[in-house]
Amino acid sequence: MNSMFRFLKSLFLLELFGGMRVTGRHFWRKKITLHYPEERAPVSPRFRALHAQRRYANGEERCIACKLCEVVCPAMAITIESAQREDGSRRTTRYEIDLTKCIFCGFCEESCPVDSIVETHVYEYHGESRDELLMTKEKLLAVGDKYEAQIAAARAQDAKYR
Amino acid sequence: MVNIEINGIKLEARDGAMVIEVADEAGIVIPRFCYHKKLSIAANCRMCLVEVEKVAKPLPACATPVTEGMKVFTHSPKALGAQRAVLEFLLINHPLDCPICDQGGECDLQEMAIGFGGDVSRYAEGKRVVTDPDLGALIATDMGRCIHCTRCVRFGQEVAGMWELGGTGRGEHTRIGTYVADTVDSELSANVVDLCPVGALTSKPYRYSGRPWELVGRPGISPHDCVGANLRADIRGKQIMRVLPQEREEINETWLADRDRFAYLGGRSAERITAPMVKRETGWQATDWDSALTFAAEGLKRVLDVHGPSQLGAWVGDTATVEEAYLTQKLMRALGSGNVDHRLRQVDFRDQEQLPAFPYLGMAIADLERLDGALLIGSNIRKEQPLLGQRLRKAALRGGQIAFINPRAYPFNFPVSQQIVAAHNWVTEVAAVARAALALAGEEIPEGLPEAEVGEAHEAIAAALRSGEQRAVLLGNLAAYHPAQTELRAMAALIARSCGAHFGVLAEGGNSAGAWLAGAVPHRGMAAQPTAVMGRDWRSMAHEGVKGLLLLSTEPESDCIEPLRATQALKQADFVVAINAFASDAARDYADVILPPALYLEAAGTLVNCEGRWQSFEGTTPPPGEARPAWKLLRVLGNLLNAIGFEQLSITDVRDELAPALAVGADNQIPWRVPAPPSFEGGIMRLVDYPIYSVDGLVRRSAPLQQTRDAIAGAVYVAGATLTQVDLGGADRVRVMQGEGEALLPVIVDEAIPVGCVYIPAGTTATAALGGGFGVVEMTHA
Ligand code: SF4
Ligand code: SF4
Ligand code: SF4
Ligand code: FES
Repeated sequence: MNSMFRFLKSLFLLELFGGMRVTGRHFWRKKITLHYPEERAPVSPRFRALHAQRRYANGEERCIACKLCEVVCPAMAITIESAQREDGSRRTTRYEIDLTKCIFCGFCEESCPVDSIVETHVYEYHGESRDELLMTKEKLLAVGDKYEAQIAAARAQDAKYR
Repeated sequence: MVNIEINGIKLEARDGAMVIEVADEAGIVIPRFCYHKKLSIAANCRMCLVEVEKVAKPLPACATPVTEGMKVFTHSPKALGAQRAVLEFLLINHPLDCPICDQGGECDLQEMAIGFGGDVSRYAEGKRVVTDPDLGALIATDMGRCIHCTRCVRFGQEVAGMWELGGTGRGEHTRIGTYVADTVDSELSANVVDLCPVGALTSKPYRYSGRPWELVGRPGISPHDCVGANLRADIRGKQIMRVLPQEREEINETWLADRDRFAYLGGRSAERITAPMVKRETGWQATDWDSALTFAAEGLKRVLDVHGPSQLGAWVGDTATVEEAYLTQKLMRALGSGNVDHRLRQVDFRDQEQLPAFPYLGMAIADLERLDGALLIGSNIRKEQPLLGQRLRKAALRGGQIAFINPRAYPFNFPVSQQIVAAHNWVTEVAAVARAALALAGEEIPEGLPEAEVGEAHEAIAAALRSGEQRAVLLGNLAAYHPAQTELRAMAALIARSCGAHFGVLAEGGNSAGAWLAGAVPHRGMAAQPTAVMGRDWRSMAHEGVKGLLLLSTEPESDCIEPLRATQALKQADFVVAINAFASDAARDYADVILPPALYLEAAGTLVNCEGRWQSFEGTTPPPGEARPAWKLLRVLGNLLNAIGFEQLSITDVRDELAPALAVGADNQIPWRVPAPPSFEGGIMRLVDYPIYSVDGLVRRSAPLQQTRDAIAGAVYVAGATLTQVDLGGADRVRVMQGEGEALLPVIVDEAIPVGCVYIPAGTTATAALGGGFGVVEMTHA
């Protein structure tokens, strides 16, 4: 009885038509595929990608070398050395994030008392060697300078939930 | 004994104990800021408020003595409410700048705020703003964070003996600072950094460079004086970030001298080398260990073959560990030479055969504070062994009669019953006390005791040494530098014997006792055993010359009391091997090969302090670059020279060989001998000492220590009258001649220097060209 039923099912291509029905249904629907890179998905203001170091409006770097991000980082991706600058303020002499270690958890950003280390929406970056994926203080500040408008807008948008 | 109850737990307490002490012993946490077990009770922070049954208001636990049947609640709603209220008041004016504060992560205020504080701030008004006084090179200030606990003020008054910090103003306007703009200069000053419960006083050299959570604390021992203070080196990665005291009640209590705390910074000197260096025709070359050690061994071998073992010698620094000193002497003796010495700051070795096995304090360090009477001969204990000075100060404040017989008057920070200043006639002044002591004891005057006139002061000293429970006669470092060391020692021991007091020696080096026990002396082997070959002391080596020299952790141009003679001997030698971490210009001049050892805190070792206490330690961080522990270098040198007994695989193997030395008991019998004191006739007498921050290579290179007021410059300190006497009145530079040496030195008029004398410190570069220590000098116009 069972083998009889299977024979008829394959003779009339029932499964094929079932599949074609799904195809046919989607063929007429509105498409959700994006034509990346011409088209991009929207991102949440809390999106976490490439890190940046921010500055104040007067150009002074925000980071005060408190080392909280270094200690909170679960991947131990951050390395900081600090010293007193000539003007007596506490500053980093070395600030590095190893992107090959980072898991983009965002804890560093959460811990920062001065909103200095942040994660931008820049997810399109690459490195051909480990070195290129080691973000030094200069690189991080450069990212911050370039995307400050976007960083500030995202923080402002999220501020009311904090 | 009193029975009390804290939080329902029944406890027994000593009569008169404070509630907080009883709670601490029982492990019950009571928050506090101003209370510190080593300081007096001020009860001004009010953080320790607790509830006591049948008392209407909360009471401060640190100032409430226990009474029978007392019931204390430290965590009742009333107690917690009081604590929260106090903390809220303390935080009103606090800047809340934890992220940039060096205390962050180890701050009592942070911890209390988390444990006992409220969770939101209700204060929106303006905060107090305070200026930060400049306290010098060691202590950084951020006075806005101060909570006026007055620990630092009490420390200055009660422990350091210098009332440098104080509070002015009242209430919210209270300020902690120096009353007039001044630096804090006590030799124990940086302890206020540990005491300050907040970040108001922090360490300047460490400022902003680390965080407590990234540091690993490893124990170590300080080698800069004979105390052997226990410390903790905080390491990040491979770097020593700071040094803190390790509590050890019987040695350093909870304190650390500034010298012990900041000496590690000397290791960052630009002169430090991290690869072996060899002098070739073309100049100095950094090289690898194989070629450097072979070069060193071949050089020594050449000296041995050409001139014989008697022309080979070794000078050992007195901060070198027991293991290093032991292997050095073993190497020399294996090569057939007895010429090994560590007493580079001494000139008088006449009584060396009769001396005990090692310089012994004659008692435990903690007993110093229980002395009822003491006579110190030739000691500036406060600057030479700051932590022993602090103990002696406690004795003096308890009413102990502390007397000094010194070549010049030193300022002490405790009441001194007598200070006899005896520059030219030191030996006779001590003899006078000996005569007074013998007269009081009704004893015979031994043969040869110098004639001396017994005055009132001498009698008072002798009488004080006979009254009270504990008395001691201590021989200080200045006596060790003096050409009449033998006489001073014999008479000091005589005075002690006739008064029934302890006799003790304050050894001049951090590991003098260890070097003696290791056999780094020419006349005795390890554990004071007789040696086969009698060697020459360092001074005869320097004067008669040696062809080959091995230097271990010493810079003779500064460490030796006769620096000029020492450098000349080194230059005249055919071959000099320097095991030294620093390649100074002088070393580049006289050495043929420099082998960089690990510095202290970088290698394992053992130090023996003045009580004869052996303290072993491990390295806290690997030495930089190619530097290796000195004992390994000595071991390989031994192998390369085919010496027998250099098969040690680890430092424990070396320690095992030292077992007989460990078994040597402390003993301080100095037999009487007929003195023959040298005379200082005519001319101006030079008084000498090693200033506190010139005692060894590491301390001399520690930049912050060198910026303090205690970093005494190489100069001529002289009273105005002396200058007029030699027709140099008003001169600001003079040419000083001593022995074969001369130096052009600035003049600093100091009326505390006895007339007819000049004080010229040793251990400084400026005075390295002079011919000796105590002795006659001539001065002319520059
Ligand atoms: S995002 Fe997370 S893993 Fe990456 S650096 Fe920050 S804390 Fe570390
Ligand atoms: S938490 Fe912020 S301020 Fe602190 S070190 Fe990291 S980036 Fe700098
Ligand atoms: S500076 Fe520190 S130790 Fe001194 S009173 Fe203020 S908080 Fe207390
Ligand atoms: S600790 Fe008791 S009042 Fe300060």
